[in-house]
Amino acid sequence: MTTHHDITAAPARALAHDRPPAVRCRGLTKDYGSGTARVRALRGVDLDIPEGELLMLVGPSGCGKTTLISVVAGVLDRDQGECSVFGTDFASLSSGGRTRFRGTNIGFVFQAFNLIPTLTIAENAAVPLLLQGVPRREALERARGVLASVGLGERTDNTPGKLSGGQQQRVAIARALIHRPRLIVCDEPTSALDHHTGMKVMEMLKGATSERGTTLIVVTHDSRIFEYADRIAHMDDGQIDKIVTHAKDL
Amino acid sequence: MYLVALQMLINDKAKFVGILLGVTLASLVITQQSSIFVGIMTRAYSAISDIPAADVWVMDPKVQYIDDTKPMAATELNRVRGVEGVAWAVPLYKGIIRARLENGQFQNCNVFGIDDATLVAGPIRMVHGRLEDLRRDDAVIVDRFAANTRLARPPTEPGGKPRPLAVGDTLELNDHRAVVVGICDITRTFQNLPTIFTTYSRATTFAPRERKLLSFVLVKAAEGVDPGELCATITRHTGLGAYTADQFRWATVLYFLRNTGIPINFGIAIALGFFIGTAITGFMFYNFTLDNLKYFAAFKAMGATDSTLLGMILLQALTVAVLGFGLGSGLVSWFGASMQGTALAFRLIWQTLLIAGAAVVVISMLAAILACHKVVRLEPATVFKG
Repeated sequence: MTTHHDITAAPARALAHDRPPAVRCRGLTKDYGSGTARVRALRGVDLDIPEGELLMLVGPSGCGKTTLISVVAGVLDRDQGECSVFGTDFASLSSGGRTRFRGTNIGFVFQAFNLIPTLTIAENAAVPLLLQGVPRREALERARGVLASVGLGERTDNTPGKLSGGQQQRVAIARALIHRPRLIVCDEPTSALDHHTGMKVMEMLKGATSERGTTLIVVTHDSRIFEYADRIAHMDDGQIDKIVTHAKDL
Repeated sequence: MYLVALQMLINDKAKFVGILLGVTLASLVITQQSSIFVGIMTRAYSAISDIPAADVWVMDPKVQYIDDTKPMAATELNRVRGVEGVAWAVPLYKGIIRARLENGQFQNCNVFGIDDATLVAGPIRMVHGRLEDLRRDDAVIVDRFAANTRLARPPTEPGGKPRPLAVGDTLELNDHRAVVVGICDITRTFQNLPTIFTTYSRATTFAPRERKLLSFVLVKAAEGVDPGELCATITRHTGLGAYTADQFRWATVLYFLRNTGIPINFGIAIALGFFIGTAITGFMFYNFTLDNLKYFAAFKAMGATDSTLLGMILLQALTVAVLGFGLGSGLVSWFGASMQGTALAFRLIWQTLLIAGAAVVVISMLAAILACHKVVRLEPATVFKG
């Protein structure tokens, strides 16, 4: 069955899912700059993402996708509206509380991987645990386990520079998974990868998160990976203009 | 995460070496120039240090430093001996007398005339001969460096090496014959003139005719008498200047600090070391942080607090400070050891290391402050900007 949500209907339809919302946004706005140079990046975004869903966020460059995931992930303050993640509104938290919340509940996969070139991949994957104060030995042990689950068990002592792009992204996924976050935010996770590798990365990402019920938000331009989405939200000019379950409805 | 910070620093070898080089350079220049400065100052008062037997130095009240001799009447010696609290007091002649060398050239020499009876204030490190030999006719003891260089005898054959002055050789001091009976080691002096020891009575015959020839009276405090208090007592009773050895050393140092260009010359070199070190280290460390900014942004996004990130940066800065200081001071120590016994004035003291260490920490912290400022202001959202 194909569903097609228009912007006004989207919140109500999303809530129709039988799972509690992992992310709930209402009337989100965000401006950059001031005066005549002001740019409105988000223009009243409403969005609900149930727990365990893989939502892809698509749209033309500059439409506000990155700003939206930045606000949802709590790394950027909104101007107006409401946004809660697992029932917690970042605006109600102190700076330290927000940082701790992110560290515990949110995983990140970046377009440029952001792996530290001078650390081994095990050390890179262990960073979220080290930030939580997990002893280094234990963190590295768990990192090796997660890396093995993404097929890099034999290369844990390599530095990222010795890996291919796809392998590096798998390390980034291991890093995003290691502390068992409830939400993972991915920014263009396959844009630097060839088709085959991109597919493998998405399979891995989806496989690793579906059994835990992890919620995934994937910002992408890569239409080849749309098939992995539960829903696809299309953004344009700072708004979500449609949410669909099949790419062909975009 | 602190280990991660160290790995980020050390594993980025090119930048790490660059930063370390800046800190090492600063540490090296600051420590080396300071040590040479201290070495020169130490030489300035070396004559005081080489006479450890004296608790108190008595002199004309107008004397400002060790080489500023204003001779007193010989009778002042007995006046000092009469002061309560004085265990013993001996005369010391210190003056510059011209020596005529065998090749016909002249060489100014620093001549010490020590007490004939006790030989107190004689050289404490004899290399050849005995101190007691000074009691022989026309006897003098010459310092080894001068014997090997400025007072060396001409070569026996053309193009040959000069022969070191040795025991049994003769000198002509102000038209008086002097026989070398011993060679000694002394602490180098500021002027680096040859140093010659003889008895007080003989020194006064070598010296140009003057009514007053007593340069100093060296005093030993009686048991239980504080040398500082004895100085005050001597001054009160005789009207002469009296200093403990330490006070006289400081008076000498202060004279050089106030009246010569030495402090400003070395001060400029040390300041240059500090500022160049700060500039190089600051620039390199700031660049290092800029290069790692995207990782710091990722750490922030992943839950690193500002205090964690600041701790990481400060640890990195402190690490280069400690390593740079260690390398710099190590190189300076090696330099100092390899230059020992040469004309270079060099003395590395713990106070210099302490000051240089503090300066290096300040340099590294200044560099870190720039980097910390950047990281604290960093928006974690920049991590999504690619």
